[in-house]
Amino acid sequence: MNRAATKTPSVLASAMRIFDLSLGQMLWSRRSVFLGLVLGGPVLLAAAVRIIVELYARGFRINGATATGSTVFGLMMWLLYIRFIVPILGVFFGTSLIADEVEDKTITYLFTRPIPRSAVLLGKYLAYVACTVLLVLPSVILVFFLIVPMGGSSIAGEFPALLTDLAMLVLGLIAYGAVFALVGTRLKRPLIIGLVFAFGWEPAVLFFPGYLRRLTVAYYLQALVKHEMPSDSAASVLLQLFHEVPSVAASLFGLAVIVGLALWGAGRAVENREYVLEQ
Amino acid sequence: MTSKTRYFVIASLLVIGVGLGTGLVAYYVGFPAGAFAARGGPAELEYVPRDAAVIAYADVRDVMTSELRQRLRSALPMPENGQRELEEKTGINIESDIDRIVACLYPGLEGTNHGGMVLARGRFDEGKIETLMREHGAHVEDYKTKRLIVADDSNGRSGPFALAFVEPGFVALGSAAVVRTSIDLHQAGNNPQAGIESVTGNEELMNLVRSLETGNAWAVGRFDALTSRAHLPETVANQIPAITWFSVSAHINGGVRGVLRADARDEEAANNLRDVVRGFLALGKLQAGSRPEIQAMMQSLELGGTGKTVALSFDVPLQVFDLLDGLKKGLQQPQLH
Repeated sequence: MNRAATKTPSVLASAMRIFDLSLGQMLWSRRSVFLGLVLGGPVLLAAAVRIIVELYARGFRINGATATGSTVFGLMMWLLYIRFIVPILGVFFGTSLIADEVEDKTITYLFTRPIPRSAVLLGKYLAYVACTVLLVLPSVILVFFLIVPMGGSSIAGEFPALLTDLAMLVLGLIAYGAVFALVGTRLKRPLIIGLVFAFGWEPAVLFFPGYLRRLTVAYYLQALVKHEMPSDSAASVLLQLFHEVPSVAASLFGLAVIVGLALWGAGRAVENREYVLEQ
Repeated sequence: MTSKTRYFVIASLLVIGVGLGTGLVAYYVGFPAGAFAARGGPAELEYVPRDAAVIAYADVRDVMTSELRQRLRSALPMPENGQRELEEKTGINIESDIDRIVACLYPGLEGTNHGGMVLARGRFDEGKIETLMREHGAHVEDYKTKRLIVADDSNGRSGPFALAFVEPGFVALGSAAVVRTSIDLHQAGNNPQAGIESVTGNEELMNLVRSLETGNAWAVGRFDALTSRAHLPETVANQIPAITWFSVSAHINGGVRGVLRADARDEEAANNLRDVVRGFLALGKLQAGSRPEIQAMMQSLELGGTGKTVALSFDVPLQVFDLLDGLKKGLQQPQLH
């Protein structure tokens, strides 16, 4: 037998092959089309606001008060992207990295290839990151250019904040994806557990004093947000009062630890778990 | 990778690339919120000399005819003596004759405490105003084809005062030096090479002015110009956050809607300021109690801004001013007994 034919490719080379295969699958799945619509929502909203303001109004109003484009963009970042879109993308894509292959009974084809199982997960995870970044960043940039110039804020003045926002969103997608990849590989009903974690545990635990909030992604991610947290409800007001902000270095370190541990745990689970396909 | 996927990736990267490229060019070249944005601000700014520390604008007609003004007049009837006196002496009725004003302040001008100017558009009786000023010791000079009515400084602190009708229905009044520069700007236009430049050339200030245009009354300026005039005790002055620019914009009609904005020296100072404001806001919102009119106002307070900018938007509904009416009645009641 030829020596080259029997040689096992490296984890990275295998992961890149899986990445290439998975990116197209992810982009054109029904899930991506739905989430593409979700991401198109803020752009349509921003365009509608812009048209209304240009044609009929004399500036933005939030709760009746005039607000600058920068303030409105900050609110959209908080309410739409940070609190909703980034976690939901993590939940939907992260939990399905391996679960979809199990459900479609195609996991066998991947695991019988001469590549490490963890490379399958890594490749799919990288495809998730690329897919979500390619969906989210253009959406944010379009919203930025539609919203910020109104009400007097300048693109030049707000551009550094946009760069911070984009970097923060990429980090959020990476972190949430890793956490939900772990959930997807370790637990049954990962989607429900993921939704409970993202929209139940994370918002709730931020109210608790002490160290419990450090067991969330939001705690570290929100510290990187430059925009002022909106005070749209009594809960938000309380959150502002008890808002404990770690330093940027601590946040980055915390997110790195979360991503590292979650991916390591997910990789271990994929390597060791016996997937029983229901007939 | 299929061609469909490849096209999507290229399109997405193109949007990101063009967006970041445009932002980068805007950041370094400094074109305003759009390269598509106009100069911004009222036309009178063309006649305001460049080094203004504070600029204020009011659409007087809009404010005077506002529902809020009518409500305030009925709730707290203000003595009209001053207004009547001004009308008798100058022929100017503030409510009907002035359409809008632009005011500017120059601290420490010509070795004086301060200098300033008000540019007003409206309907003025030029002969009556000149006669009145002459009666008070003013003299008339010709300055670049304009009649300049100059009154000497009586207390020796603020410098000579001057008034000039720059155009029909457009008057400049204030420190003589500033009014002369304003006439220069009107005659020769913006000419930085000759040392004559209007505030429209001050991009930093104009960026702030553009952000205020939604209001019918606004003010913007360097914060140190305010604190230096306030003569605060040193202990108090030391506690004031390091703010470089401030601005306030309000739209006055059926209530007051507006934005207060402060640009701090650095992000740390801005964060400190935000913490203070956030604390007060949270306390206020929790204390608003069962008064719906106060609750509505408190709920409208929205802290915003990024980096070195701290912004607070507000909306004081008309109903809040009814409290003044109640307060007045409360004060009058004991007098009845």
